[in-house]
Amino acid sequence: MIIHLNFLPKPGETGAGEVLASLFALADQGRLDPELLPHLRLHLDWIQYRANFREPVTVRHAADAQGGRMALAELAVDLRRVPRDGLIDALGGALASVGAVEGETTGKVVVEDWAPLGQSTIWQFNRLFWQRLGDWERESGRGFEAALPSGRSDANDPAAVADAVADFWTLLVELDKRGQLPAEIFALEIGVGSGTRAGLWLDRFKALDEARATGFYPRLRFLLADYSLPTLDRAMSAVDAHRGVVSMIATDALNPLRALSFLRYKILYVHLTNVYDNLPVDELVRRDGQLYLVETRAYLPEPAARAIVTACGVGPAELRPTIARLLETGPDLFGDRPRGVAFWRAVWDGLCLEERLRRLEGTADVPLPPGLHGDDLDELLASAPADVRFHISGGAVESFVNTVPLLHPRGYLQVQDIFVATMDEYRQGFRGPGKLDGSVVNWVNGALLRAVGARTGYDVHFAPFRYRPGSRTSILYTTLRE
Amino acid sequence: MAAHRLPTAVVGSYSMPAWLERAKNDFLRRRITAHDLDEMHDAAVKAAIKDQEVAGLDVVSDGELRRDNMIDYFATRLPGVEIDRGGKASYYDFYDCVVRNRMPMAPLGLVEHFRFLRRFTDRRTKVSVTGPHSLVKRIRNQYYPTEETFALEIARIINLELRELVRAGAEQIQIDEPYYSGFPEDLPWGVRAINTLVEGVDARLSLHVCYGNRYGKPSWEGSYRYLFPAVLEARIHQITLEFARRGSEDLRLFKEFDAPFTLGLGVIDVKTHDVETPAIVAERIREALAVLPAERLAVNPDCGLLHLPREVAFPKLAAMVEGAQLVRRELDG
Repeated sequence: MIIHLNFLPKPGETGAGEVLASLFALADQGRLDPELLPHLRLHLDWIQYRANFREPVTVRHAADAQGGRMALAELAVDLRRVPRDGLIDALGGALASVGAVEGETTGKVVVEDWAPLGQSTIWQFNRLFWQRLGDWERESGRGFEAALPSGRSDANDPAAVADAVADFWTLLVELDKRGQLPAEIFALEIGVGSGTRAGLWLDRFKALDEARATGFYPRLRFLLADYSLPTLDRAMSAVDAHRGVVSMIATDALNPLRALSFLRYKILYVHLTNVYDNLPVDELVRRDGQLYLVETRAYLPEPAARAIVTACGVGPAELRPTIARLLETGPDLFGDRPRGVAFWRAVWDGLCLEERLRRLEGTADVPLPPGLHGDDLDELLASAPADVRFHISGGAVESFVNTVPLLHPRGYLQVQDIFVATMDEYRQGFRGPGKLDGSVVNWVNGALLRAVGARTGYDVHFAPFRYRPGSRTSILYTTLRE
Repeated sequence: MAAHRLPTAVVGSYSMPAWLERAKNDFLRRRITAHDLDEMHDAAVKAAIKDQEVAGLDVVSDGELRRDNMIDYFATRLPGVEIDRGGKASYYDFYDCVVRNRMPMAPLGLVEHFRFLRRFTDRRTKVSVTGPHSLVKRIRNQYYPTEETFALEIARIINLELRELVRAGAEQIQIDEPYYSGFPEDLPWGVRAINTLVEGVDARLSLHVCYGNRYGKPSWEGSYRYLFPAVLEARIHQITLEFARRGSEDLRLFKEFDAPFTLGLGVIDVKTHDVETPAIVAERIREALAVLPAERLAVNPDCGLLHLPREVAFPKLAAMVEGAQLVRRELDG
């Protein structure tokens, strides 16, 4: 057995030693299969979000290309949530399930079939959340930004916004000096949230422009882009004072070029906050030199399923098809929106992901997002720890490669988000998907974006977000790769 | 093949196969030998020549597939340039290079690659060299008092090589100066460097100026107006400019100024994978014919096809040839 200890628990939480002692006790009691031991890995890793899609003790096994069971098995324990009492039984139960037959679903209601994480139903929930944000917020009684772990969005930090405006304004001055400033100055915000940041940015830009008498503001064309029209409407009201220079456009963050191709090479500044962390992602695992793709299937643990059946009046056998209908038609599925939203919230609250590791023959078998080349992946793996689990941030990569062609030759992209800046950082543990109030959050593989950036002619840099102590946000910014 | 009106050519580079990119990177990391890479270069160049011929081009190049990029191919050959060989992660990156002493005169070895091209085609050929202004912008100068004196020295060295190329049979030579567009204020001495470069070179000389194609995207934006009237002093036979991506507005400059050279008209946008139809190409040529007679026009893509996959580059060239043929037929009545 190999132990990966990446998380030191706080006082009062279950300790790593207690987990080990429980495992040794299981071995003493003859409840630990000696044939499993050489292939077992124990992961006491750090998951940033306390709310996530894993139960406190989970087990995942490896499967070959045909789905046949392989010897490798991993036991993952979330030390923050696993109760001391009953620890031995929880671990014993999980280990016993390693030998269970593939189709067995005792103690859970499975709501989808096995698929790579990027195709999981959780992303449909995520999309539904942004499309029907108002319904969710009415039911929860609070705005989505208040539901963030810090209780607010780093996007709206006035000092950060002021610095961003100053950097942009400096670029405009330099271009103007060289006679290269276009007549129309395009700036683009993708993923507009409440519109607060755009409002702050525009206020600041206008004030700076007036103070320095540079005359840039009237030439500004500020575009608010989001795939949710209700969100855009809300954001427009937050920038009401700047209606003369602001337009909104429905745009999928995965492919801004589709809606904005007429602005190819024209936009001087593109900004996104907390968009990449909300886009679909896959995960790769390397163990003993062998690559695996993480496959998941969503399920409701038995207690959660029972509670939903009771509270929402949906028969146990109807649970899976009703969830499918919710994702297809939205919270009006019962013809009673409050009931539909309550059902939606309850399912989201209980939803978990079961994981398995699907063996790949090599990097050529990895499903690569557009813009990522196999060579880049090979190079990243060469720089990664030998045993590693990491993100293939497919949504972020797709968005990046479909955004940079919009940039003016001297323009730049700025992204505030949570990044793993180097492959070596994955040595410290794996930060899997977190479950926010209605949406998914995920760390973004910055090393991957750096490789993709280099291929598209941009150096990608990461700066810490220094405006809020303790913030895990970084700022990605591009510079031209000459 | 007899010369005709509206001759078609590539600007220089042809589609770089992904496998060749991998091989170049493998060579950089010492995973394959120079001999292996040379063999791959030979195979890729032969395939590029064949593609150009099948597409129907009148003038072909070697696709510039042996080059890491437009700078390093020359920086590594120019005598007296010090190169940090461990300094780049990808073949396409630029080496960090510097000149610390007076550069000696010495051959660059371009003739061997030209002879290879000649051996595998009986079409007319074109050889492209990066111009002194662009080289000066990428090679650090720690010896010469000004950028201009540095550029003139480089021009004198490459001039010898161009004469060697002519002796070996080169008929068309193109000088690439994309950095003009980023530094328009340099144009007066940039043109003087061109004239030093072509002194006594008995070939058809063209000057290619674009807005950059690094990583398949523009490096600058603006208007070609900055070229005029200074560029009229350049002792060249043709200027090759991009119009497909940027539109035809700057064609009017050829109405405004009495240029002593012909125009290589960019009719293929090399920064999009959308393949032009022959009709679109023909329309772009007709727009130019409103300004210049057919005898003063040649037809080419906006810039090199390096960044386009072959399945895009080849049909673009074929469409270009077909579009030119459409217009020729119209002109022939």
